Formats: sequence, structure tokens, C-alpha cells
Amino acid sequence: MHMAAKQKDKLFMDAVKKKFKEDPTDMETKYYCYGGWKQSKSKVEFQKSAMAIAKKRGFPMMNEDIGIPLGQRAWMPYQMSHTDIYVEADDLHCVNNTAIQQAWDDIRRTVLVGLDSPHGTIEKRLGKEVTPETINAYLEAVNHTMPGGAIVQEHMAEVNPALVWDSYVKVYSGDDELIDEIDKRFVIDINKLFPKAQADQLKKAIGKTLMQAVRVPTIVGRLMDGATVSRHAAMQISMAFISSYKLAAGEAAIADFAYSAKHQSINMGTMMPARRARGPNEPGGIPFGFFADMIQSDRVYPDDPGRAVLETVGLGAAIFDQVYLGGYMSGGVGFTQYATATYTDNILEDYVYHAIDVIKDKYGGFCKLDPTKYDELMKLGDDVNAYALEMYERYPAIMETHFGGSQRATVAAATTGIAGSMATGIADCGLNMWYLSMLQHKERTGRLGFYGYDLQDQCGSANSFSYRSDEGLPAELRGPNYPNYAMNVGHLSGYSGIAKASHVARGDAFTANPYIRVAFADPSLVFDFANITKEIGRGGLREFVPAGERTAVIKG
Amino acid sequence: MTAYKRQFYPGASSPAKNRRKVMDPKVKLKKLRDVSMDDVVRIMGHRNPGEDYKSIHPPIEEGKEPNCPIRKLVEPIEGAKKGDRIRYIQFTDSVYFAPISPYQRAWMYLSRYRGIDTGTLSGRQIIEVRERDLEKLAKEMIDNETFDPALTGIRGATVHGHACRLDENGLMFDAWQRYIWDKNKKEVVYVKDQVAVPLDRKISVGKPASMADLKKRTTIFRADGVDMRDDKEVTAYGLRIHKLRTFGGYQPFNVKDV
Repeated sequence: MHMAAKQKDKLFMDAVKKKFKEDPTDMETKYYCYGGWKQSKSKVEFQKSAMAIAKKRGFPMMNEDIGIPLGQRAWMPYQMSHTDIYVEADDLHCVNNTAIQQAWDDIRRTVLVGLDSPHGTIEKRLGKEVTPETINAYLEAVNHTMPGGAIVQEHMAEVNPALVWDSYVKVYSGDDELIDEIDKRFVIDINKLFPKAQADQLKKAIGKTLMQAVRVPTIVGRLMDGATVSRHAAMQISMAFISSYKLAAGEAAIADFAYSAKHQSINMGTMMPARRARGPNEPGGIPFGFFADMIQSDRVYPDDPGRAVLETVGLGAAIFDQVYLGGYMSGGVGFTQYATATYTDNILEDYVYHAIDVIKDKYGGFCKLDPTKYDELMKLGDDVNAYALEMYERYPAIMETHFGGSQRATVAAATTGIAGSMATGIADCGLNMWYLSMLQHKERTGRLGFYGYDLQDQCGSANSFSYRSDEGLPAELRGPNYPNYAMNVGHLSGYSGIAKASHVARGDAFTANPYIRVAFADPSLVFDFANITKEIGRGGLREFVPAGERTAVIKG
Repeated sequence: MTAYKRQFYPGASSPAKNRRKVMDPKVKLKKLRDVSMDDVVRIMGHRNPGEDYKSIHPPIEEGKEPNCPIRKLVEPIEGAKKGDRIRYIQFTDSVYFAPISPYQRAWMYLSRYRGIDTGTLSGRQIIEVRERDLEKLAKEMIDNETFDPALTGIRGATVHGHACRLDENGLMFDAWQRYIWDKNKKEVVYVKDQVAVPLDRKISVGKPASMADLKKRTTIFRADGVDMRDDKEVTAYGLRIHKLRTFGGYQPFNVKDV
């Protein structure tokens, strides 16, 4: 696919030809003649449903005839990038799309808990032997307790397994000999899931540590919050240890298990300041490098690094823009339309694969551009950014597809940033190129994003290389709560992609955390993190089956 | 020592020259039409023509202003003196060679007017001013060369359209159709005010310029017009700003080419 960027037809052609009947280069079209909202299947469905609800409850509900006359221009379908799936924008709203929800559910309900510390407690303090057999017995016990099974106390209420079928615990390690002794049903097999070069890197980084990937039930994360995940895991892990190693429930040593599970574990989201009013393990706390490690495209499609980067940007838009900034921080319904720009219609795809071609043709391939030659880096950024902006100008169909300036600014800057990352192998260089793009975009077109959108882009050049605390961090360790990044939609997805880009370009098996990388390779996850746009597309087509549903305990 | 002379904008290309022109308050912008003040007031929709200005505080001269050196230095604009409300006009500028664009508007306003508050988005640009001052400013902006009837929209809400293709008459898309094409007069007429409340009568804002004319007048760089990269000075200026900011934040001791 990536070679298509060199061909006459741009990668976005199929999508824009399906969206509009005019030639993609035409500057003129017709408006006000398409039948309003009735040209949209989902709007028609919504109207019918809302009218029925209004009748049933006895007072008005949603009504497509209120407010702006929707559908004054041709109602565009959206192609999920690098798939053949077309959906309507409504289908991509995170409240309507079960796949987007499950992606966040799967991230939030994951906590990684090492077994080395509790095994040390069992052997040294309690004097009991830990063997592969005892580990297998523990894993069987913890796969009973984690979903909600009782194991120590009698006369206990338990959770209906049909509600929590998605909950489990698996283990992995860099120690092949140990893993060979563990029941395969409980193993995330690095050798089997990753290409050899990646597996070797990961095993070396993980070493002999035996790590648990704990998946708390989706419904637990939804009923409480992200902060509850490690607590739920700690309690159920402790119970499983007590039972499988025949320990005293009240003994002080048991606290070591809970302590290690709560405090020697890896949450997916770090703690944010109190003013954000969120617990730990919420999306605002996910470092870009952690997020990049969750994306698995480069594991399944190792010869297509561009795809891995694009998939990172795509899920970043869904989780960071739609769910976090759109829901948690802003509230309301409006962020979806904006976020779709990064993962639909192959527009960002076209730009990124073009950038990859430029890097290969002019700079000798990935990671060959010396980052100390700053003028050369700026030359690359200037070229790549100019291509992206020129496409919008040459093809009015894609200008109209990304009809918000923030969409275009994000897509052009993400392309330029990704190019900087891949050319140098350094994410901070990519971040710096993001800001080059923004400044040039504003200068060229006399416009950029919305009111607050541009704020961080005016000052980002100055902080993109800073490592000093309170002012900067390596790009991989920055996150949605980094100063300046905390409130402006449209940036976090690109930054995630920039972090990913430098490492896939280097051939690294992970971006920031090898444990997270392996945990999200697990085929038992409900959401497939190797096929982001396909999964979100299945959500849009209403084919995705999420976890956490309550129908098992609802009659009828 | 020679006094500093404002330069406004670099570059030798026509968009660069046009940017300098609109930002330089000494340059009188060409008046291309004469929409009556009453019609400007109607399109904005804040008050009816002839209606008194609503006030939010008594005239300053009636109040007891504190003994403040800044107040002595800065003369209030007329609306502030009278206690007018702060109201707005918001323009949407098409990407298709509209005479001006949102950031240029901000820079132009800030260079030419006092007592304003302006906000910049990708498609639209709002300016908030005391009401009687706003009306003068709005009339200037509707009458002068920064306005094109087809490619500049006056829109309070539901503003999208700047990046949409043009309609069959060359007009920028507006979901509310606040303005329409009068095919007999070949003019653009407003039928709704800024927030899409129907007007009592149509208000003509005149004939759109030709695309050839707009390409000469625009402040927007485009690949199918004048590409920014063809203006070496503008390109170098942008890259220089980025480089200086980068090194200023990262290695200020290495900033040597200021």
C-alpha cells in the first residue's frame, strides 16, 4: 500500500470519489438540494427512534428538525483508513461506537503486576516453595478470583460470570525456560506473537521477571473508575495467593501481596494533579510512549512501519480526543467530527507514506538524518509540510472533507512530525517538526485551528527539546497532562504517533515500556490493538461485540 | 539614531504586499461598495436602526473615575465614554482566494483600531467592540477591499463553509443561507442577519469580484495561486522564527544568527 503514494492516484482518491460526485479537483459543487438530514441513514434512524421515545415518555427528545438544518451539503460517508469499511460520522461517535469504548475499557482495566516480589515473600518469609506447579495452581486460582469468584471466605456472594467473561490473568517473561513450564493457557507467548527480532529485544528487556497481565472486568472499570482497577486486582490476587499457597488470611505478610499489587504494579495511566479531579489510571495520565506500546500493528505488520504510526494516531484520536478531551474534560458531543480526520479517508495515510518515500529517496532511509544538522531537518519538515498543505489546495474534495482548520492543522503537523521522527529516529525531533508545520501553516494560509487550539503551537518550538522538569520530558514520557497539552484537542493523537514513529523507524520492539508492549499483544483482549481502524469500523458497522454488557442479568 | 520604522510583513510576492497593505494603518483601504449604515446595523442584528444604544454603565464623565495615570494616558473610545455594550461582528473568509484570512484580520484590526478584542479561528474571526465604534468599524470592513460578497460571510453562529467548495454561483457555503445570489442583478443579497434571523428586506452587498481579481488581491498563499515557498523572504522568515524559538528554548547560548 505504501508505494501507492508514488502513483498517480493519491491514497485518498477512493474515499473522495465515494464522498462526492464531482472530480476531486473541482472547486465548485451544488448545495441546499440534497434533502437535508434525510439523506443520512443514521439520522433517519435517530429521528424515528427519538420520536418513539418522546411518545413513550410523554415529552420531547432529540429532533433533527431543531436548530441548524443539517444536510445542506452532500452527507459524506467516511472510509476507515486502510480498510474497505465505510461508515457515517454518527457511527464513529464514542457513545455510539462500542469498539472505541472497548479500546479504552481494555486499556483502563489492564494492570501489570509482577510476581517476583510476592514469590520472594512466599519463599523467604513464609518458607514455602514456589515451583512451576505452584505457579500454575495460583494462575488457576487467580483466574477464578479476578472475574469475581470467592475463594477464602464461605457464604460469599459472587459475580455472575456471564457479566465478566472478559476478565482473566496471564503471565509472560523473558525467561523461556520458566515459560516452558507454565500452563500455556495462561501464557502470553512472546516467541509466538512477535517477529523474532522484536521477541529477542523484548525478552532481553524483560529478563527473568515473571509479569502478570491482569484484566479486571470491563464492568468494574465502568462502575467505578480507572483507579479501582489496581485495587480490584490487588484484592483478588491476594485471595488467590492465600488459597493456592495455603496461607493465613490475617497474617501480616499477606499485606506484602496487596502492597506489591497496588504499588509495584504498572498502571496504564499515571497520576494527574488534583486539579484534574481524576484518579490514577485514567486517559489523561497515559504517557505517549505507553500508548504507542499498546498499538500492535508493527508486531503483526512488521514491514509496514507507516501503518503502525497511523494506527497509533488513529486510536489516539479516539481515546485522547474523543473520550478524554471530548468527554472527560470538555463534555458535550462535538469532538468526534473533528477527530475522524486522522483515521478516515486515507488522507493522513497519503501524506505519511509520501513522507516515508521522501525520507527514503532523499535521506537514505530511516534514522539516517543527523539530528545535529538542524537545517537539514527543517528542510525535510518544510518539504513534507508543503506537500500536505498543497494537497488540500490542489484537491478541494479533501479540503472539504477536512472542513475544520484544526483537522487540517493536525493532519499536516502529524505528517511533518512523523517525518522528523522517522528520519532521525528521535521523537523530540519529530515533535519539533510538528511545531514547524504549525508555524508555517499559519503563515501560509493565514489560519490554523480554533481559538485555543493554536496556543501550544505558538510556543511549542521552544519546549520541544527541553528535558528539564516542569518544562519538558522526552517525547515518549510526555502525555496528555504535560503543561500546554492538557486542554487542546487535536494534538495528543499526533504526539502519540510521533513517539511511535521514531521507534518503529529504529526497528525497536517497543517505545517506552516492554511490559505494556507484550501485554497488549494478548489475543484474549476484546479489542484487537493490531487492527485499530478495522475494529473501530466494525464498531461503526455494529458488528463489534463488547464486554461489560448487563443483558445477562436483565430479564427478557 | 534612526527611528524604528514598522515593517509589517516581509516578502515580495503579491500576498505579502497585500498583507503589508492591510496591516499598515497609514494605507487607506479601497472602498468598493457603500452599504448604508442602517443596513450594516440590520445585518449585525444587535439593535434596530434608529434605536438608542443600550448601555452597561453611565457615561464615564458622569462617574467617579479613580485617580489613575493609565486612565489619563489612554483616551477611551467613543462607545466606552458613553457606556455602550460590547457587541461583535464576525466574518468567515473562504480559503478560495478570499481577500483576507482570519490571522490577517487579527493583525489588521490590532494594527488599525483601538479598544477591540479579537479572536481567531480557522474559518472565522470575531471582533468585539463598544457598539457605536463597532458599527463604524463594521461598515468600513463591509465596504472596503477586504470584503468580497461571495467569499466573505457575516456569520455569528454556524460558521462552517470556509473550506467547502463554492456553489454554482461562486458563493461560499453557508448552511443557513444568510445570503443568496440575485441572478437578475448578479449581486449577493443578505436575507438573514448574522445569527440567521430573517431580515425584513433583502440587503445587497454588491457584485462579487472575478477570480482573477481576487487572486491579485488575496493575502492567502496557495499552491494554485502564489505558493508561499516561491516567496523566499517569507519562507525564510517563518523558518527563522521556528529556529530561534527552538534554540532559544533549548540551547539559548547557541543562538548566534539573530
